[in-house]
Amino acid sequence: MIEVSHLSKSYGVFQGGRGVGGAQKAVDDISFRVDKGEIVGFLGPNGAGKSTTLRILAGFLGASSGSVRIAGYDIAEEPQEARARIGYMPELSPLYPEMRSGEYLAFRAELKLIPRKKRRDAVAKALAQARIEDVEQVMIGHLSKGYRQRVGLADALLGSPPLLILDEPTAGLDPNQIREVRELIRSLGRDHTVFLSTHILPEVEATCGRALVIAEGRLVAEGSIEALRALRRTSGVTLHVRGESKAIVAVATNLAGVQRASAAPAPGGLVALTVDFAEANGSAETTEALVAALVQAGVGVREVSARGASLEQVFTELTNGEKRDPVADAERA
Amino acid sequence: MKGFWAIYKRELFALFVTPLAWVLITAFLVVQGIHFAILVTQFAGPSDLTEGGPIPAFFGKTMLLYLPLLFVCPLLTMRLFAEERRSGTIEALLTAPVGTSGVVLAKYAAALTTFVVMWAPTALYIVLLARTGDVDWRSVGASYLGIFGLGAGYLALGTMSSAMTTSQLAAAMLSAMMLLVIFTVGLGEFAFEDGPARALCAYISPWGQMGDFSAGIVDLRRLVFDATLVAVPLFTTVRTVDAWRWG
Repeated sequence: MIEVSHLSKSYGVFQGGRGVGGAQKAVDDISFRVDKGEIVGFLGPNGAGKSTTLRILAGFLGASSGSVRIAGYDIAEEPQEARARIGYMPELSPLYPEMRSGEYLAFRAELKLIPRKKRRDAVAKALAQARIEDVEQVMIGHLSKGYRQRVGLADALLGSPPLLILDEPTAGLDPNQIREVRELIRSLGRDHTVFLSTHILPEVEATCGRALVIAEGRLVAEGSIEALRALRRTSGVTLHVRGESKAIVAVATNLAGVQRASAAPAPGGLVALTVDFAEANGSAETTEALVAALVQAGVGVREVSARGASLEQVFTELTNGEKRDPVADAERA
Repeated sequence: MKGFWAIYKRELFALFVTPLAWVLITAFLVVQGIHFAILVTQFAGPSDLTEGGPIPAFFGKTMLLYLPLLFVCPLLTMRLFAEERRSGTIEALLTAPVGTSGVVLAKYAAALTTFVVMWAPTALYIVLLARTGDVDWRSVGASYLGIFGLGAGYLALGTMSSAMTTSQLAAAMLSAMMLLVIFTVGLGEFAFEDGPARALCAYISPWGQMGDFSAGIVDLRRLVFDATLVAVPLFTTVRTVDAWRWG
């Protein structure tokens, strides 16, 4: 559905970008493909080049070099054929504030060349899918951010394009709406190919089957969600325990698999014990052993909480040193 | 040209549900109403302006016809592209399966339609004149043709300006400046001695154009100039919009 090969984009010298003179590329030699029926997450910190890549895929920006094919159509050679197969939701989904949601979708349906007779049905279907039937007659300027976001989503869904490109579809939504949108995206995966960007790791885990990770314009990892999960495994735990802190630290430090342990006083006369594991992948077993050892030593364990690697740590790990081989990454998972 | 009608309709909608078009049309008609009233009063009294009658005077002889155009046309076109780029809606528009020329022409056509709507009520002045005296319909028709030609060129320049900046204010000032230059150069007709410079100034002078047309003289060369003033800026606009993709 999407074939990207050696895609690069650099902005003009005076339009900013990173580095002196904007010489650095916003997108640097990216290649990947997304097959029909996949839900693929495009993950990266802010400013990594996610939106730029998506804009190129959607045909809004031109690439500096490389090629993009959508459903077999080259986005530069046959832009209208390619764009007709994409439902694109831009970041922050900018809309015309002076139009009602229904009017806007009717306008977009006409613009997307949906035949006159089918337009009304197409709009009704998109309104229903995005669950915004109740605001059909409301001016977009009066809608809350969450509703506006969903009008943008309805716009992308109009006419059931085979490929959906969604730029941060859950940005600005409250937790309930986020859950709804994630469910919607999962259900869309049955009939559509979905390519969505996000800077939230759990979002990819919740919705996608596969993920691409981008940082500083380069593709740094590609693989299944399990591979990503592995990167996020707990690097340590924090315990709230009752007892004498020196003894507690000694028990923890002596355990195999623990790299470092430190104690600090916590409210309620407890001790907060922070433990770093030597190896992230053995975290579950080490946690078990640690709690058992503490209990055996007569220490009262009140609370155990895992310290997951933050997205920043994952990105740091991915972007440090050599570029990883995506295939090897997938296999390792 | 795919998408032309959808965008054309939306542009008109945007112009007329927001106050901009109404404010502009009202202001314009107030000025033209005063303009017409002054002329009619002049012609009703003992006057030395009798040559040609009120219609050539209205369309061809006073500053009050041109000055409003210098302001109204830039204000009509300033938002066409600048607003969409500022708010980001241009992204949804240009990722729809439509061609750039369709987008540009639709937006321009909407501005031109508004321009025609703005002039339409002035037909009442002609009706008034026809009820009290003889009206030379040929010069009426030619006058409106001349005005349409001027407006079409001015609005095309405005459309181009709007595509060149994300600030509506800058777009309006840029096109107003271009119109002012054209108008001022046209005044060279009265400043230069006979020669190529004077011929050139007379050729592009809106004053000269309306002088001819309001007397019922439809000069094809004037229309060719107007058409050029439409085609070149619109072509530039299409190229400018395409260039954003590669910026």
